[in-house]
Amino acid sequence: MSSTTTMKRVSPSKRDYGYCNARVRGMRSRLLKQAFMDGLMQAKDLGGIITSLMETEYAPELEERLLHGRSTGQIDLALKDNMVRTFRKVLSLVNDESLEVLGALLGRWDLFNIKTVIRGRHMSLSSEEITESMVAVAQLSQIDLDELSRQQSVKGVVDTLSTWKLPFAVPLRAAMPEYVESGNLAVLELALDKYYTEWAAKRLKGRGVNQRLSRRFLGTQIDTINLLTCFRLLNADLGDQDALRFFLPGGTFVTEALFRDLASMSDVDEVYDRLKRTPYGRPVEEVAIKYIESGSVSVFERALEDFLMRRAFAAGQGDPLGVGIIIGYLWMKANEVTNLRIIVKGVSVGMPMERMREELIVV
Amino acid sequence: MIDNKLARKVFGSAFVATMVVPAMAFAQAAEGAAPVDYRVGVAKAIAAGASMSVSALAAGYAQAKIGSAGAGTLAERPEVATNIIVLQALPEIIALLGFVIAFMIGTA
Repeated sequence: MSSTTTMKRVSPSKRDYGYCNARVRGMRSRLLKQAFMDGLMQAKDLGGIITSLMETEYAPELEERLLHGRSTGQIDLALKDNMVRTFRKVLSLVNDESLEVLGALLGRWDLFNIKTVIRGRHMSLSSEEITESMVAVAQLSQIDLDELSRQQSVKGVVDTLSTWKLPFAVPLRAAMPEYVESGNLAVLELALDKYYTEWAAKRLKGRGVNQRLSRRFLGTQIDTINLLTCFRLLNADLGDQDALRFFLPGGTFVTEALFRDLASMSDVDEVYDRLKRTPYGRPVEEVAIKYIESGSVSVFERALEDFLMRRAFAAGQGDPLGVGIIIGYLWMKANEVTNLRIIVKGVSVGMPMERMREELIVV
Repeated sequence: MIDNKLARKVFGSAFVATMVVPAMAFAQAAEGAAPVDYRVGVAKAIAAGASMSVSALAAGYAQAKIGSAGAGTLAERPEVATNIIVLQALPEIIALLGFVIAFMIGTA
């Protein structure tokens, strides 16, 4: 594993949030505003977008990437590079307590990257194709991810992770025999998801205000994943046992019993009735009609994603000397990059502005 | 919200030193007006010392916190330097008030 992940950092004392939160708030003040996004959506072509973005924080990465060509792909990579640089900068500033908390929460990006490599290897994609889809914002650096994507098989990826003694190697090693036998990728992904939720919950143990806030946020993340699974199972004919295989423990509101109930339902009204006493009732209600019209589960996926993002933003509005400010900023930044990528793609294919606006997440 | 035990102790002590201790010293001085008791002088000295030292500690604590946050802000937004300097100087008032009260106790 590369040395970049263990780079020497000069951190403030264990619980001093004054310095790091002030810096993060300074960085937050430079996030792009709604008016800027509107202007970007009105750009006639990629040239207009590049000109606007060159006046923002994204200029250094754009300058570097545009040397390879003025294409949508290069802008996309520049946006991703900026996100990686920002996350790494924040991680190098924060105190020990927030580093522990963020390590657990950002572990989901490591999970995402490992899943991407495994999927890529399973489908025999090229190393370049796999690397383009990964975002090195957590423990695994870009060098580590490049090394993983160069492995020739899924087994090679698992063996490399084991050599690096990464926690995610444990569930993968355990699930490998079943995967080899069935050739079903879901076995590995499910094992990874379950391991991550337990691993993160263990790291967030503690009675402090910041640990409680992070646990709640992790719980919301797990809830949204479980709810999404339930929505996907709406029309599937599964027995109790099969559905519970997909349940991830550690959620705040979606318990095993609720998950079992939801998974056995076949109507969105029933799901709403069951969820209306939880914070997820409202977002589900708001898109229920859209779901009935389109029949696509992606409307729920989008609603839950918005809900999670709003929770992250709300975390950033609380204690000015707590980890919530940092969590809120990191999620805002990821959201901004996602929105910019949507706009860049939209403008490049001539998508109408209203359609683009619909695609944006919580602007 | 003061979430730190040390901060609560320092600010609590500063409050006691600046409000309660001088009042006790004045009361004691008034009671013993006729024969001058050496104990009044000792109490006044202790009260004045406590008032000055605890308020200085509290000002130092506040300035340390504002200083680290100010340094963070300046690293990202140098254009707000003037505001940070003003904020950094504000807690000096706590020490100044402590000094004034200590002086009043001493001359009472």
